[in-house]
Amino acid sequence: MRSDLLTNVLSELNGASADIEASAVISTDGLMMAAQLPSGLDEDRVGAMGAAMLSLGDRTAQELSRGKLEQVLIKGDSGYVLMTHAGSEAVLSVLAKSEARLGLIFLDVKRAAESIAKLV
Amino acid sequence: MENKIDFEQLAHETRILTGFTNAHETLLIEAAPDIKPHLVNVTEAFYTILHTLPKAQAFLDGRLETLKKAHLNWLESLFTGPFDADFAQGMYHVGMVHVRVKLPVEFMQGAGTMILSELISVAKEVYQDDAQRQADIIRAINGVIGFSVTIMQESYQASSLAEELDKFLAITGMSRTLFNNLALAYEN
Repeated sequence: MRSDLLTNVLSELNGASADIEASAVISTDGLMMAAQLPSGLDEDRVGAMGAAMLSLGDRTAQELSRGKLEQVLIKGDSGYVLMTHAGSEAVLSVLAKSEARLGLIFLDVKRAAESIAKLV
Repeated sequence: MENKIDFEQLAHETRILTGFTNAHETLLIEAAPDIKPHLVNVTEAFYTILHTLPKAQAFLDGRLETLKKAHLNWLESLFTGPFDADFAQGMYHVGMVHVRVKLPVEFMQGAGTMILSELISVAKEVYQDDAQRQADIIRAINGVIGFSVTIMQESYQASSLAEELDKFLAITGMSRTLFNNLALAYEN
């Protein structure tokens, strides 16, 4: 089903780079659609927080005349969180290691987002 | 917001909190023929006092007669009953309207005290020859004003929070559904 197809996209994404630790597809209302997350992470919180960050990112890009939002990147001392729209109804959220090569990650995420957009 | 509230429960709990009993309700209805003729003076006194407050002018200008009529209707309902879910819903709605017109909450709270004071004066005058009856009616009036103001205040607080939330959602671009899901995710 669609959930399996989304999970396949996430598995491929996670497998594309050793720097990607986890990924999830979230509805714009903050509900989890598919996830490849490590244990210990609360799916509901990851989902809702991811969608909220992207929503805020949309508004910020607009307010600060940065154009249409492409992605939200959060840098912590233990790694990155990258969020991007995957069509109009979903958000792709990716966790990457602190030493990740971001250029490659951005490319992999963009391709995965395009695949997800076709499914949702 | 009103759709999600159990007004039966609200009325029940508020009556317990404010000590407004069935006996009080009966007393108020019995006192109606004695008290109701005086209520127009209570309304006049109330708005005379309000008129002395510069901050109140904006709320009174151009609508004083409408407000007086609504105020008198409400006062009469305090001696008519029943003080049930419908009454609670009416008071809740009044609280929401006060928020919508941006009436400062201290106006609503202060008004409750003012009206209580005026109604006690009426009860003292009407029942000046029956100390027991006077005391009983004053207790009943205290109960019904407490009941009404407590519900209005609860509504005021909920409406104020809802307005702030609406502002936050509008500023951040978050949908109400997303906010609810976020809140649910962090409930525990």
